[in-house]
Amino acid sequence: MSSAKAHNLRENNMIKKLLLICLLIVPVACPAFAEDGKALLGQVDRNLNPESYESYRKLINIEPSGAKKEFTLFTVKKGIDKVASLFLAPASEKGRSTLRLGDNMWLYIPNIGKPIRITSLQSVVGGVFNNADILQLDYTAEYNVEKVEEKGTQYLLYLKAKTKSVAYDKLKIWADKDKNLPTKIECLTEAKMLIKTLYFKDVKDFGGGIVRPAVIETDSPLYKGYKSVMILAKIKEKTFKDEAFTLTFMPNLESLR
Amino acid sequence: MKRLLLIFLFFAFWMVPLLAVAEESYTFDPAETEKKPYHVGGYFEFKPILYGLNHDSAFYKVRFFNDPRGQNLLEANGRIQLEGSYEKNIFRIYAKTNTDLKSSYSGESERSTFYEFYGSVKPSSNLKFDVGKKTMKWGKGYAWNPVAFVDRPKDPDDPETGMEGYMLATADYIKSMDGPLKTFSFTPVLFPVYDHVNDTFGNNYKLNVAGRFYFLLYDTDIDLLFMTGGSRTDRYGVDFSRNISTSFEVHGELAYVRNFQKNVLDINGHPYPVEGDAVSYVIGIRHLTTFDLTTIIEYYHNGMGFSGDDMKNYYGYITRGYDTYQTTGNAIALGNAQQMAEGSYGRASAMENYLYVRFSQKEPFDILYFTPSITGMMNTDDQSWSLTPELLYTGITNWEFRLRTGIIAGARNSDFGEKQNDYRIELRVGYYF
Repeated sequence: MSSAKAHNLRENNMIKKLLLICLLIVPVACPAFAEDGKALLGQVDRNLNPESYESYRKLINIEPSGAKKEFTLFTVKKGIDKVASLFLAPASEKGRSTLRLGDNMWLYIPNIGKPIRITSLQSVVGGVFNNADILQLDYTAEYNVEKVEEKGTQYLLYLKAKTKSVAYDKLKIWADKDKNLPTKIECLTEAKMLIKTLYFKDVKDFGGGIVRPAVIETDSPLYKGYKSVMILAKIKEKTFKDEAFTLTFMPNLESLR
Repeated sequence: MKRLLLIFLFFAFWMVPLLAVAEESYTFDPAETEKKPYHVGGYFEFKPILYGLNHDSAFYKVRFFNDPRGQNLLEANGRIQLEGSYEKNIFRIYAKTNTDLKSSYSGESERSTFYEFYGSVKPSSNLKFDVGKKTMKWGKGYAWNPVAFVDRPKDPDDPETGMEGYMLATADYIKSMDGPLKTFSFTPVLFPVYDHVNDTFGNNYKLNVAGRFYFLLYDTDIDLLFMTGGSRTDRYGVDFSRNISTSFEVHGELAYVRNFQKNVLDINGHPYPVEGDAVSYVIGIRHLTTFDLTTIIEYYHNGMGFSGDDMKNYYGYITRGYDTYQTTGNAIALGNAQQMAEGSYGRASAMENYLYVRFSQKEPFDILYFTPSITGMMNTDDQSWSLTPELLYTGITNWEFRLRTGIIAGARNSDFGEKQNDYRIELRVGYYF
């Protein structure tokens, strides 16, 4: 056996050993990594908003021409899977309300007079934000963390939807390491096609220990030149009775304000 | 017509400065979120319609036998709705008025009424009482609602238009739970029919009782409904709605009406009563594609509707009456036919089996707030149909522009073939304030 052959053999054995060690380590390390990722995502959720809260938001759709359309919403959330929103403005939308219970979503229009089922990918306001964005649940409620990477001062979390009924199959969340708040989120399809990007800006103290971005901008390669902005004016921790999150209650959401 | 145009121009001129404001840069003043105890708002609409008349149709003959028109008929419609509410503690009062203005060949007309006017008491988040004039809007169907026992019939040609309510007393009791049954609610209704109180509904001097039990069970909306009391015969219903996937919804309704009575004409035009239990149902789907095309399909069986033979006898009665009028000037038969047209023979979906298909494409070619759609409705018994292409634009805050055309086709003695018009073109300009 020549010395070169012997060297190659030793090298191959070394690679095999390294591969074996990797194979043994990965299954042990991954759950811990996933657990860390889950905890990290949970912190991001809680830093964005309390589990149960009320908030006032404005959604602005901006067209390439600069024309804008604004919607003001009062939103209430309870637990992991109950969200309801009431349109306060403009006059053409006033009194409309939306309700989300897990994967179920309804829209109540006063003229139609009864809630109709809607889907997460539709948009009750038009523009880049869809119903899943407007009636956002906690990320931990809908996604598992597949992987976490460190990118300088930020974490990059790779999320995978728990079920097929979630609006986006994959999310990539860039979160600030110090504040544990998202700075950017990419929403992707199962085939990793980018649907939209959310940019979190203007971190503000809303009182009650809530310090979070007040502005979320979004754009989409599917809506070239269009932009939608969500501005948070008020948010505070508050609990509501379960009955407030029912179809029968939808015409009465105003009474919660 | 001129008066309507003047009203429209006045509103349009008045609102132009507001449009300019809407173009300014955005702000979010927290004062915008402050709750006021009162609310005042409204809606103004201008709707000119051009009808293309079908001179050979039965309903043209009934309506215009003594005042024949040309090929077309232009009509201008206006609508003003005002709404207001006042809330204090657990009490709230709400009113919505509706004024319809019309200018046509026969002159100008105006009708004003309260669509809704009721008081509410809400002692807790799971209990509410309402008394007054109110719309209930029961059912899950888009174009038809056979289980809407305490509502006026919906117009399948414009299902999203606001409707006038009835005088009633009602309550909502809601209970939320964990488990497969997430929500239960009960809505009892007391529905009086007396002089000047819901007196067009049915038999007079009766206090009717209706109710709806709602369940959100295994992610499915289910309602059980009933009405009894004597103004109309007893009726029971069930409906459901469920999302099969995030983009696919199914719904249905079934109504069982006991001892239903209707008067029909025999082949010689003599009326006779028909009585029996009737079953009506709607089954439908709503689907959304990845490129935002919404499809609504519904099939409606109207167990209380007229059969093909019933309608043929009615059309035959009109034709004979029209011939008699032409030769003798005697309009008695046509007068009777007119009365029947104002009743059940002339109402929308008066026959037994219908198919409704609507496609609407949201924001095609990246044009925000623009929704073209096309709606088809067919009487599946006689294969007559109507087709309504529509363009809707809502890009200017609080304004809504809708242009639609209705094309109607069918053989003689068919449902759509005997309608007054062959086509119609309609523009609707609406403003919310």
